[in-house]
Amino acid sequence: MASDLRRVVITGCGVVSALGFDRITLFDRLLVGDNAVRTMPQWELPGATGTLLAAPLELPHEKILSLDRKLRRSMAPVAIYAVLAARDAIAESGLSDEELTNGTTGCAVGSTLGSPSAIHETMRLFHESGLENLPAQQFFKSVSHTAAFNVANVFGLTGALLAPCSACASGLQAIGVAYDEIRLGRQTIMLAGGTDEATPEVAGTFEQLFALAHPAPGQDAAEAIRPFDANRSGLAVGEGAAVFVLEERAHALRRGAKILAEIRGYATNASGRQTSQSDEGAIERCLAAALREASLQPANIHYISAHATGTRQGDLAEAAALARVFGNAVPVSSLKAQLGHTMGASGALELAVTLEMARRNTLLPTANLTAPDEACAGLDLLRQPRRTALRYFVKDCFAFGGINAVLVGEFSPPAES
Amino acid sequence: MTREEIIQQVNTVFVDQFEIEAERLTPEKQLFTDLGLDSLDIVDLLVELHKSFGIALRNNEEVRKVRTLGDVYDFLEKYAREHPEEIHSAGN
Repeated sequence: MASDLRRVVITGCGVVSALGFDRITLFDRLLVGDNAVRTMPQWELPGATGTLLAAPLELPHEKILSLDRKLRRSMAPVAIYAVLAARDAIAESGLSDEELTNGTTGCAVGSTLGSPSAIHETMRLFHESGLENLPAQQFFKSVSHTAAFNVANVFGLTGALLAPCSACASGLQAIGVAYDEIRLGRQTIMLAGGTDEATPEVAGTFEQLFALAHPAPGQDAAEAIRPFDANRSGLAVGEGAAVFVLEERAHALRRGAKILAEIRGYATNASGRQTSQSDEGAIERCLAAALREASLQPANIHYISAHATGTRQGDLAEAAALARVFGNAVPVSSLKAQLGHTMGASGALELAVTLEMARRNTLLPTANLTAPDEACAGLDLLRQPRRTALRYFVKDCFAFGGINAVLVGEFSPPAES
Repeated sequence: MTREEIIQQVNTVFVDQFEIEAERLTPEKQLFTDLGLDSLDIVDLLVELHKSFGIALRNNEEVRKVRTLGDVYDFLEKYAREHPEEIHSAGN
């Protein structure tokens, strides 16, 4: 029964990104215009149109070695990112070992397809040398739920273990299913988020569909990704992770946890029509469903953290759906010009930045948006940082396979003046 | 290969793969109780020894009897004596 549904809040957040290893640093670097997109001459991909772009992150070796060897040996980068983000989220939330291990805490961590780098290596080893050269955990580094089970093992979680693998909607879907687990009273706490790796094979998937950006002559790599811009040419893959502590609100209040935000509504749906192209009608229905669950009207929303990757068709479909639901009254921006498309991590990473925007009373713009596409003109597209209070926000994600996911949140604590 | 060369090559595997300090690597050490390896590590030990020495070990009954680091040295020394054409030193 609806009256029995629990309220769900966020009490911790950890971030691993190309522009910082906590959300304050990430926000600050985005605010000053830092950009992680660069050329990747080491990524050789026969048939590609010129040099590929990506937004890779460089993880300090000491961060990797801070994980125990026996736990680390089952981790490819996609899992390491998630575990490090989860560790910081747990620390911020102040969860005890007892709370983590008593069965009331689970996790839901999504990624596009597990670890593409480990899948590649596993298949190479199988085919080139059979079992003699195959490490014991090579397969476990690869699998679709590798990030989720590694998070559970590192922190001793014994509740639900879920791993949505829905390409670029994975992270937001993970948060959505975690929210449901708590709402329905199955779990009290869930570690939830998304993680992903940038690899040439994944970039090649986009390149094959002509969805990867290539700098115009004389254009710097940092200027190549241009969501909503008339001169956009595609996306660059990025990587990283963000993991949140989601918690039953009453439990958080009882233990005196600091509440960062409340999840007010969530929806996910399918276009049921096409594999690679966003469907504005399905996006519109998903937005409406999430708002309905949140008991909010479009006019209540103060900010939309857009999916907008910088592709021709994807940005158009999203812009059309947002314009139909919200008109031009709600500020919209995409962070992918600076972070690249972090795919399965994007929903979670961009939600983490949104929390910091709310705390700082500052909306971040879409970088490189110098000439907004007239077809996207029905929106309030942020081109400069904007000082304003942010209480209710929307985060949306769309993915190959026709999947859409939308989260509606409410920022909780008093903002800084 | 000499026993010293084998010890050096095996110890490199333990330092690189299992992150064990070189000074702890003495022959009497039990792989499980003293050096902290577990059954998954033994699979990786066979993989690393295969890569390092060039010999297939998965289906070798004798290697399954090793318990100490010294047993590993002894096994490889005996193997090198009996199959000198199969075993190679690192870098070959």
